[in-house]
Formats: sequence, structure tokens, C-alpha cells
Amino acid sequence: MATQVQNSPLGEPITLKSLHTENPRWCVGCGDFGIVMALKRFMVEHQMSPDKTVNVSGIGCSGRAPNYINSYGAHTIHGRPITVALGLALARPDLNVFIESGDGDALSIGGNHLIHGINKNFNCTFLLFDNELYALTKSQTSPTTRKGHKTNTQPAGTYLEALNPIKLVLGIGASFVATTADWMPDHFEKTLQAAFNHKGFSFIHVTQRCPHFDPDNFDHKTTTWFSFLKHANGIEPDKRIAGKTEVIEHDPTNLVEAFQLANSHHRYFGLFYRDDNKPCYDEILLNQSKNTPQKTKEKLLDYFLLK
Amino acid sequence: MSVEKKKISRFEVLMDAGFGAQKAGDILIRAFAKTGKYVYIEPMIPAEISPPPRSRPAMSGVIIRLADFDITNIGNNTDLIIAQHEVVLNRRLDDEEENPHCQVLLDTADQADNSDTYAQVVQRVKNLGLNIILFDVDEPSKLLIRSLGGNGKNMYYIGMLAHIYNADVNVVIDEIKMTFGKKLAGDILDKNIKIFEFGYKYAKEHIPLNYQIDGGAKMAERILIDGNSSLSMGVIDAGIKLYAGYPITPASSIMHTLARVLPSYGGMVHQAEDEIGAIGTAIGSYFGGVPSITATSGPGLSLKQEFIGYAAAAEIPLIVIDVQRSGPSTGMPTKTEQSDLMSVIFGSHGDYTKIVLSVANVIDCFYAPQMARYLAEKLKLPVFIMSDFQTANSYKIIDKPKVTVMNNVEEIQDFVLERFHISRLPEKIEMVRTNQAIPGTMNGMRRVTGLNTDQSGSVNYFSKTNQRSHMIRNEKVHLVKRALSKPEMFGGDEGDILVSGWGSSRGIIEEAINNLRAEGIRASGIHFKIVWPLPMMLKDIFSRFKRIVTVEVAYGDELKPAPLATLLRAETLFDVHSVMAKATGRPLTPRGIMNKVKELLETQTVSVR
Repeated sequence: MATQVQNSPLGEPITLKSLHTENPRWCVGCGDFGIVMALKRFMVEHQMSPDKTVNVSGIGCSGRAPNYINSYGAHTIHGRPITVALGLALARPDLNVFIESGDGDALSIGGNHLIHGINKNFNCTFLLFDNELYALTKSQTSPTTRKGHKTNTQPAGTYLEALNPIKLVLGIGASFVATTADWMPDHFEKTLQAAFNHKGFSFIHVTQRCPHFDPDNFDHKTTTWFSFLKHANGIEPDKRIAGKTEVIEHDPTNLVEAFQLANSHHRYFGLFYRDDNKPCYDEILLNQSKNTPQKTKEKLLDYFLLK
Repeated sequence: MSVEKKKISRFEVLMDAGFGAQKAGDILIRAFAKTGKYVYIEPMIPAEISPPPRSRPAMSGVIIRLADFDITNIGNNTDLIIAQHEVVLNRRLDDEEENPHCQVLLDTADQADNSDTYAQVVQRVKNLGLNIILFDVDEPSKLLIRSLGGNGKNMYYIGMLAHIYNADVNVVIDEIKMTFGKKLAGDILDKNIKIFEFGYKYAKEHIPLNYQIDGGAKMAERILIDGNSSLSMGVIDAGIKLYAGYPITPASSIMHTLARVLPSYGGMVHQAEDEIGAIGTAIGSYFGGVPSITATSGPGLSLKQEFIGYAAAAEIPLIVIDVQRSGPSTGMPTKTEQSDLMSVIFGSHGDYTKIVLSVANVIDCFYAPQMARYLAEKLKLPVFIMSDFQTANSYKIIDKPKVTVMNNVEEIQDFVLERFHISRLPEKIEMVRTNQAIPGTMNGMRRVTGLNTDQSGSVNYFSKTNQRSHMIRNEKVHLVKRALSKPEMFGGDEGDILVSGWGSSRGIIEEAINNLRAEGIRASGIHFKIVWPLPMMLKDIFSRFKRIVTVEVAYGDELKPAPLATLLRAETLFDVHSVMAKATGRPLTPRGIMNKVKELLETQTVSVR
């Protein structure tokens, strides 16, 4: 997503406080707090005008995120935030559009829209809050739930191997694929920065903790189970954690290597892939409108005249 | 051969799909219209692109009603049929839409290989008491048709029809040139015109039928337009800038037209990945302050329902066109029906609110988007425009509608409101949330949601708050209910029977009532353009008639009132039932209504079927 960052028109500084709406109704320890905080910090850091910013979400814990950021927002219906965001992108290219979606929202009920949002490559920053289960409906298996994990719908343990969202979006042809985690604010903000600067559909996968329903997942106190990706054109590793784990070089224009990394069972945080030349559907439509000679309404019905 | 003068006549061209019956019909009606005659055309289209020729599903045809006065519907029965072969003729006879004196012209090209079935169908025609004329395309035309790879027979038929109905040959040829001029190479165009001329000559020499329908004044500022084109032009006229849709019969042609034209008027067309995507994008655009619209038909309507409820709850303006086709499920995609009424009014879950407009004809189609935009933006809720296959695909000549500029919905002109029998709404209307700022508005930041909220927009599950939200949403609809004036009526304000209908049945009811009253029967008609909410004074209107009945292109029987009858019963507690509740895929006819009304008044009972 690349749009002009504008300062607050009133000249009043944008602060964490001015972006505050109400105390989030998430569980204690939920990773979503970290995500919303990262978004707010990003807006403060860049003094991004909340008047010009719209957060669009679907249903689930992730769906509540727009409620807790004092910008414009649309908490839509399950699986469909991409469709509403596209309407905004086409109607109002002047706005900064962020989409907050979950693993159930984006990969299950809304899978079709994810495919076509990525393929259309319209200008937005998309965050997949991946806590690897349905949480707001109280612990059901989602497409990314790890095999064997017990949920209310698959109490003997989740039957299938988890779907791999990185492989999926690389396969669809995403023009920007980055991964980060809710507990590394420095890396998160750098990821947002890179995503925001990219023109097109910027896909960010967020590894998100759900201590209430799956406390054993994502041990954020240890670091050996993940590595950072690093490159001059990539995203810098988290400054706090980088020294404690492996950092590997990966050129984000190397799609084959991106697939190989995505395919491994090890987790990587950083920029998997970036293609700055993929056409943007919104730009094509907007240009078509702009470049078509305009007609006056008086002639609207002339085609049908009986002459 | 003497020329028989007629005020009105209806004829049909029946062919296999792909042989150009629709094109032939278009050419003929344009030629007739240009010489001052009134026309109404209804296509009969298979749901498949190329069904096997000489099969019953392959029938593709046009019905054309021609008159020396303005006509509002496709009429009763057919006076003349021209059929490519016995299979399409046999198929069409099943619909029982021919007049007792109908002339049947049957092409014998396929007779040699199918002599038994030809004999059977010819016998069937004779048993119906109809006159059958067998004809064969002449030899020079056969050679030309062969050189065109089997195409061109439609030109022979319109040649014959041009002679039978005394069309101006030069005007028809001009129309053929206009239709094919840019698409066909010069020699192919010439061959088509040759075939037309041979057909004309053949009919002149061999077909003992010759009718004259007088033309009226030259139609200077008049247009010939179909329902979906008219809706498309209306969308532009209403200042709508984004169309989002997914291909579905019979709504697709709106998207085709707008894809060509909307960019010239500062807008764009988005073909979405599915029906849900289409409506989501329309909602996103309107949330961003840019007027948008989506169109669909039955199956797409079902898919869109969740988002329709969302728009009502989130208070985002939304306009949805439903071009109804025959249901349930995939049903009959190229047949007309009015069965979506209940799912449009009550379709999404929970108590939610909307306004439902319907279009009676192609002129309504042009103004409906303006009307819908006014209501959607004033009330910030979903507004439906209900059309149907018949209105969408029927062509009619109308005075060129006035184009307007509506930068702001308050600029809507009185004549548009009057057309839909509604008065202007109050300037200020209470919303569930006080802040309705559009993104980009300085310091107006707000979040919309499908969750219940209080006045400030904060999510809230408290009992009183939720009841308040319902009340405010419903009050928006009540405002419209109070603003509705008396619906259009035909005949007197009191009498023995009141025939009610909505949408595309208007012209048919009007004609039936006029004819019934000419016979001294105290029948009146009432037609609803806004079908939800219904006006306040209905009970009062109904109380002056002995019987209230509906006519609907929707199923109903003794145990199940048809949709409009159900609504009217609930609204008025009058014992409303249907005299016609047909889901045959075919439009109602004035004569059909007349017969049922007479039957009811004579016997006091009537079978709805």
C-alpha cells in the first residue's frame, strides 16, 4: 500500500492518546493488543492522518481491531473485508486502506476474496491475524490449526495438516509477502513501513498468540524455532531479538527461494517476496475512467433515438 | 389480394438458437417504429448458447406486438407465426398463446428428412382449427444461404413479414445495413439484403396475407429501448459512479452496457469474483461517499443477503437491482417471474429495514435509479429496484426521457417522486448513530459495524440500546410509508372487484380493466410501484370494493396465497386472494385476467390456475 502520508490537517500531533477509542475487549495476553499497538505506533511515527485512514475488518477477534483505532473504520461481515476495502480503493484512492482479517476470516470463509484481492493487487495493507484457530466462537479448528491440536470441533485432535498461508499467497502471485509476529514491535513496525511503501496488495502474515485457547503455541520467550530474513531490499530483523536467533540472507525478488523458505517447517520472519511491477487493478480502472473522453449528459440517450 | 386493415396485431418468429431470430426481430421493430407504428417486443431465449438444433430447448424466438396506438404490454395471443421447422412450432404450441384465427407459416426445408413429425405437427395445427401455410425458401436464396454457411434465413423471414405487414422496404434495408454494416463484409451484407428481397417477393407472390397497420406521426424525439438498457442509462443519469456486479442472467446486460458507457461519464464498472464481492464493493464505495450500485438475479440475491442486512445495520446507503427470473434455485434463467418479492423484502436475517421499488416499464427503469439513490442516501439503508426478465428484455418506444443532473439527492425533481407516488422526505432524518461522516472528513473519524451500537457508535449489547436501534431503523421506513401517496389506479374508486399487481404487470392490468369496463363490468385496477412499505390508505381503498384480488407471475394456490396477496392480507386483513398466480415463465395476458375476473364475478369462485 503506497499513499501519501499527510500530517494532521489541524496541525495537532497524532499521539497514541489521540488514536485511542476505548479499552479493547480482548482477553488478557491476546496478541491482538500488540498488533493494534503496532498500527497506532506506525500512525504516530509517520503522523498519518486518521481522517484519511480506514481500517476494514471482517468477523472474529481480528474484526474488532478497527474499533480500537481512532481513524475511520468498517467492521464488515465474516470473510468479506477485502470486498469492501476494494470499494474504498476504487472510490477513494486518496485514502490509506488497512485490512485486518483472521485465519478463519481470510483463509476459510473469505478464501475466494483473498485469491482475487491478491490477484487484483489493489492498493492496501492486509494483515492476517493468524492465531491458528477460531477464538471468538470459542476454539474451533481453522485452516491453519496444527494437526493433532484439540479443539471443540475436532476434540480428538485436528485431523489435517495446517494450510500454509505463505505458500498459498505466493502461489496466487502476491506482489508483497511479509511475515512478523505480535510480540516484536520493532519488526512489526518495519514490516508495516515496507508494506505501506509498496504499491499494491501488501500481504502481512502475523503470527498471533492466543493464550486463552492455545497457550502452548508460539513460545515467545524462546527464539530457536524461528529465524529472520534479511536483505538490503528487505526488512531489518527485530533489533531486540536479532542477536538471539538465526538471521539469513534472502533476496525478496527470488521467488523460488521464497517458496523453499515457505515450504520448510521452520518459521521465518521478514520479507519473503516483493514484485514492484505487478499491475494494480484499481489503478487500471481509475486510469480508464480518467483517460476516457468525457461526454455530456444531453447526449446520453442519443444512441437509442429513432432517427 | 386485398389489404386488410388492422389496429393491432401480434406475430412471432420461431427459429433454432443461433439463426438470428433476435436480430431479425430487432431489425423489424426498428423499421416499424421509424415509420410511426407502436411496437413491443419480447424475446424468447434459451438458457443455453447453442442447444442442439431441431430440439425443443433450441427454440429461440421473438414475439412482436404492432399497433397504431401506444401499447403497454406484449398483449394476449398471436395472430401469425413463422416457424423454421416443425420442432420449434410444436414446442411453442404447448404454450397455448395462439389466437383462434392464427395463421401458421411453416418452412418445409426439413420436411423431406422428417416427414412423419412434420405430418404430426401439421395435423396438430389443423386440429387446433388454425390455418397452416407451408412454404419453402426459393432456390436463389437457398444458394445464397449455402454460400453464407447456412446463415441468412432470418432475412428471408423478415422479408416475408415485411410484405405481410406492409413495411417500408427501404427502411428495413436501412436497418439491415445499420445492424450489420460495421460487422459484415460488404458482399455478405449484400447477400443478406438479397435474401430479404427474395423473401419479400416470395410472400408477395405466394402468401395470401397482407395487413396494414397505420403509422402515427413521425417520432422525432422518441427512443426505442429495452428495460436493462434503460436502467443502465438511468444509473448514469442518477450520478452513480461505480457499478459492481457478477455475471448472471438476466441482469448481465446492465453490466455489459455500463462497461461500455459508464467510463464516458466519470464512472467505472467492476466485475467482481462473486456476487458477495460485488455487493461488498458497492458498499465500500458508498461508505466512501461515492454512489454505487449492484445488480443481480435470484441466486445472486440469495448470496447477497448477509451484506444487505449489514448495510441496514451499519447505515450505509446501498442500491441493489434484482432482475427477477424464474426460481427456485437455478430455475429457468431466461423466463420471467415475480417470485422474489418475499426474499427481497424479508430476506436477510433479523428484523431489518429496506425500501423496495419496482419498475412497471422501460420509462420507470430510467428514473428508478434516481429514486433509489434519493431514498438510499436520505435514509442510509438498502433500496431495491425490482425488475424482471420480461421488462429487462422487452423493447418499447417511449418519449425521450428528460436527463437531469443530480449532484445532491435533494435536487431530485418532483416529477420523479410523483412517478413513484411518493412525496419529499423531511430534511433531517434521525440515524442510529449521530456521526455519519464520510472518510476523509476532518475530525469525523468513526467506525461502522454490523454489531449493535449506541448513538455514539460504540458497540453496545444493552437491552434499551438495541430496542432504540430497531425503532430508529424502522422509523426510516415508516417515514416512507407516510410519504406514500395513493398508488396508481385504473377505473373507478369503487366497484365489484379491484385487481392488484406490481412491477411489470401494470400495462396488462390497465388493458384488462379498460376492456372489462368497456363491457360494463365494474372492475378497477391498482398497481404498486413501491412495494415495501405499502401506503397508509390501503384499507380505505380496499373497503370500497366487494372483492380484492391479485394477479402475479408467481406461484399460488388455494392453500398458499401468492406473495403480493400474502402481503396485502397481512397489511389490510382483507380477504385478498389471487385470480392469477402463474409461474409458467410466460407473462400474464390482459385477456387471461379478463376471463378470470368474469369467471369470479359470475360463479363467485375461481381456480387460480
